[in-house]
Amino acid sequence: MPPLDAAAPAVEVRGLVREFKGGIRAVDGLDLEVRGGEIYGFLGPNGAGKTTLVRILTTLLRPTSGSARVAGYDVVTDADRVRRSIGVALQEAAIDPLMTGRELLRMQGALHALRGSEAKRRASELLDRVGLTTAGDRRVGGYSGGMRRRLDLALALVHRPDVLFLDEPTTGLDPTSRAALWREVRSLNDEGTTVFLTTQYLEEAEQLADRVGIIAGGRLEAEGTPDVLKARVGEPMLIVTVDDPADADAAREALRELGRVEPCAPGGTPERVVVRTVRGKEAIPPAIRALDERGVAVASVEVESPTLDDVFAAVTGSRLEGAAEPESAAA
Amino acid sequence: MASAPALPAAPGTLAVIGVLWRRSLNEVVRVRGALLPATVAPVVFLLGMSGQFSRLTGLEGFPTDSYLSWIVPLSCLQAAGFAGAATGANLARDIEQGWFDRLLVSPVPRPVLVAGPILGAITRCLVPTTVVLVVGFLLGAELTGGLLGLLALYLAATAFCAVAGLWGVFMAVIFRTQQAGPLMQQGVFVAVFLSTAYTPQALLRGWLEGAAAYNPVTYVLELGRQATVSGIEPSLANTWPGLAALGGLLACFGALAMLGLRRMGA
Repeated sequence: MPPLDAAAPAVEVRGLVREFKGGIRAVDGLDLEVRGGEIYGFLGPNGAGKTTLVRILTTLLRPTSGSARVAGYDVVTDADRVRRSIGVALQEAAIDPLMTGRELLRMQGALHALRGSEAKRRASELLDRVGLTTAGDRRVGGYSGGMRRRLDLALALVHRPDVLFLDEPTTGLDPTSRAALWREVRSLNDEGTTVFLTTQYLEEAEQLADRVGIIAGGRLEAEGTPDVLKARVGEPMLIVTVDDPADADAAREALRELGRVEPCAPGGTPERVVVRTVRGKEAIPPAIRALDERGVAVASVEVESPTLDDVFAAVTGSRLEGAAEPESAAA
Repeated sequence: MASAPALPAAPGTLAVIGVLWRRSLNEVVRVRGALLPATVAPVVFLLGMSGQFSRLTGLEGFPTDSYLSWIVPLSCLQAAGFAGAATGANLARDIEQGWFDRLLVSPVPRPVLVAGPILGAITRCLVPTTVVLVVGFLLGAELTGGLLGLLALYLAATAFCAVAGLWGVFMAVIFRTQQAGPLMQQGVFVAVFLSTAYTPQALLRGWLEGAAAYNPVTYVLELGRQATVSGIEPSLANTWPGLAALGGLLACFGALAMLGLRRMGA
């Protein structure tokens, strides 16, 4: 299938609501748009409504109200065309343990109208792509979690979908498997596939997504590129620790050109000088030069940038479970 | 709005049924001994019931003097019914484990998604049905209906397997849990129990007499009994009520299964 027009939305959601029994609104008036060819990261904690949205967009669940179109087709009235346009890897890599990887891929081919020889060829191609050629004829019951996830991804790609939905694709994976999956997602996106990715990992959203949507309580609380979202929270901080606290004022003077120097807080650490600067990590070399020119001896220089978790905290008032400490670069 | 690209062709119905049929056979081909309980249970039932109730044939109006011949079609039907109901248990497992979502997001019409597993169940049910028949014949049951009777028995068993399969699918899509498995099996058990399973209609009394008369399974059993019961000869008169009953059951449970499937997803 040719890639979708990059200017047109691959996913278009308007006023979407999904209410469950007891009046619980998992998705509560959501509006969003994903452009063709981008990786859209949908970030939120467990229970935020991510999976409900993915299930609606992949035709597994009917919305209570509102509308959603995927690849140009309505998910309710044109569900069959949506299904022909999308690839889906859901939260659990649901794979029949009695079948081999190759058999599963060929079966998936039949489900998507690939004829016997074509399905066979495509299965070999995809096994190679996800690094499972040697394991392809083994039953999936013996695969590791990472292998299952890679096979799950391959299954979603059998019919070369326009839009790929990945629901928490790396949950439970070790760092190596996670990195391998990220590489594959990037490569797919380079080939023109639009990727809609849900995750509860900040790093994953940051590493992969062109744009990030933050969902909490079924509502889209913020949306933008990771840099734009982080800039909304505040500028990165350049933190210089001088050897001698008596040099702190000289250091502040030296660093004034790089950004807004924060005054030393009463009771704070006197040897610590903080400068808010949009230049982030790029401010480290000129900072060192400026301090050197003034003869200020430096113990350390580091940059702390706001993280997506800071953004998340700012827009939702809570932090994501297991969120990392603020990102820092040091010299 | 996105400029919708050319869509891939719709999947071939027969090809999809074929792959899903093969997959459902893995349950017995790739799991050692999986067919054993499904085969042993009806054989044990056959031996037990024929031993306990053999003297019932002495009652006036009993259409055969061999209780074994009377009970063989019942055991075949039970074996086939339980094999069919297992389709529902397997589907409930697939739903719980998320496998069925993979099928639901494919552009395959819903009836096709269950046709493969039901055909798989029909294929699987041939093993216990045949074993029950062979054991029955070895122990002295008579093939009074000849080839036509045998065909009628296999038709009754396989179609009843499909009915039980659709019942199982309905239960699976309603409850979406393997915990509904006993309910699927109980449905088959009760349907068979409330028929002319152990004695002919003429010898039934009380509420069971009425229940059996209105129970379509009674007529399915009569269809199958054309193979081994000397008093029920292969004939159109003994065949059409069974065929009509099966047609009605398939239509009814097929519609229920489809209604349930429609509740799953858009």
